[in-house]
Amino acid sequence: MIRKILAFSIALIFIFPIFFLITSSFKNNIDLFSLPPKLFLFDIDFSAYERVFGFSKLLKFDPSYGELYLTSRILDSLIVGIGSSSLTLIIGIYAGYYISRANFRYKNFLIMSILSARMMPLISIAIPLYFVYEKFNLLDTYIGLILIHTFINLPLAVLLLKSFFDEVPKQIDENAFIDGASKIKILHELIIPCAKGGIAVTFILSIIFSWTEFICALMIGQMKIKTIPIQASIMKTIPSWDMMAAFTTISIIPVFIMILVVRKHFVRGLTLGTVKE
Amino acid sequence: MAAQKSYSLPSFMNSDSSLPWLLPLITMLIVFAIIPFFYNIYLSFHEFVPAKRALLFVGWDNWIRLFTDGVFWGSLKVSLYYTFMCLLIQLVLGMGIALLIDSDDPGFGIIRSILTLTLVIPPAIAGMIFLIMEDANYGLIPWLLKSVGLIGPEDTILADPTLALWGVMIVDIWQWTPFMVLILVAGLRSLPSEPFESAVIDGARPFQVFRRLTLPMLHKVIAVAILIRGIDLWRMVDYVFVLTSGGPGTATYTLSLYSWQRFTFVQWGYGATISLFSLIVILIVGNAFIHFAKVKW
Repeated sequence: MIRKILAFSIALIFIFPIFFLITSSFKNNIDLFSLPPKLFLFDIDFSAYERVFGFSKLLKFDPSYGELYLTSRILDSLIVGIGSSSLTLIIGIYAGYYISRANFRYKNFLIMSILSARMMPLISIAIPLYFVYEKFNLLDTYIGLILIHTFINLPLAVLLLKSFFDEVPKQIDENAFIDGASKIKILHELIIPCAKGGIAVTFILSIIFSWTEFICALMIGQMKIKTIPIQASIMKTIPSWDMMAAFTTISIIPVFIMILVVRKHFVRGLTLGTVKE
Repeated sequence: MAAQKSYSLPSFMNSDSSLPWLLPLITMLIVFAIIPFFYNIYLSFHEFVPAKRALLFVGWDNWIRLFTDGVFWGSLKVSLYYTFMCLLIQLVLGMGIALLIDSDDPGFGIIRSILTLTLVIPPAIAGMIFLIMEDANYGLIPWLLKSVGLIGPEDTILADPTLALWGVMIVDIWQWTPFMVLILVAGLRSLPSEPFESAVIDGARPFQVFRRLTLPMLHKVIAVAILIRGIDLWRMVDYVFVLTSGGPGTATYTLSLYSWQRFTFVQWGYGATISLFSLIVILIVGNAFIHFAKVKW
């Protein structure tokens, strides 16, 4: 019993900042700055949400409510997240399946390279990439950001998918091969349906890691494209606290839902497929 | 590839060329890892010269500057301190909490779900939350510390040269201790129960059981957790960017942030040199760790 109380109080400590953020988004500017903080008893105020998403703009014209663009920041994050995760998945499925099944000469070297790619400080990719992108006119474009996020997520996707494919019995491949199916057909029609849970997990984790990535998004997105973390970091002056809270609350809730869906495989994703829960 | 055209069935995958399967992956690795690496080397021997508005060859100047630059050594110290302290604290705290919630009871399952949530918050936003909570005038944490008398009434956290780094580390510890907890709990849950039962029968004390049984059996899980956490701690930039921007003065520059800051000051070559240094260090240390800790994929 003591153990349970202790465990729950620790959980409370960890959830408190999230709770604090979400409640802040519903506070008016007086309650927001009051000390001791008003944790439960405060006047619920939706004005921050109205300003962030421009609801009131739909009803009446008010020039001070000009922040409708914040909705488009969430759209930016969605486009980059879904685009890069889809591309990651396409590349990762073939590579992961091949690494899982085949024994080739440079297999260990390839795995080491993938892990080394995971180790790279993102700033050391972002600086050279800035110049490369400048030459190819990829700065401030969705495709440029999608490509770099794909690269960032590839080590996770390839190794995680490999671990999921490792769990599909090799017998399936071999029987189908004897029956004369081509390897690509075996993968598409037998293996992918067997591993679709794992593929969904990889997809969701890739979206999350693209959603949270900061420095490359800052470097590549300039004026037109700003993902959610970049936008949030701009709103750090005190007058926009409530708007920042409303904006980030809206942007982290979809991630919470996604992660609770794949919670069982989350540890496996974090450890690139090595530790299973 | 023709030589591999054997018909031994169990390794049938060898009979085909590996290229179509791996080509997209290898292309991505070349474009986004190999090319930036060599481009970084190229940049580290060049510098943008404002008078001529051009990137000119400067020889070893950037590297000489790197090893004589006090701010660089400071940021290296901050990066090392940050990485080791956070890793140590998160590992110890994580192990404690993991042992606490390692149970079949459904209540502890809820706690594990709660702990998952901190990990998916964008670090920049986690930084923003703590920026509000650590604000000198309206923040909750300074207010709490002042009311119990740990800091003086005029003290601040993020503007104080000695406390600022801890103000950043507290965010990291808050956000990523659950990472350690979840991985270690997964490891603990997968251990067989027989050795523990017989140890209890033999009258081993709990600490002995932990030292002699749990730790050695968890060795692989702990190694993976240290590796991945260490990589992310070393390249951390989001928190300092949001919370302190390296300040006060240069007290919280990490290597990545200092490199980014030099880049924005149009010292492209020097910025690239710092990031290259950081990259080479982590590649050597990371791969050596994988080798010596025998982490297998």
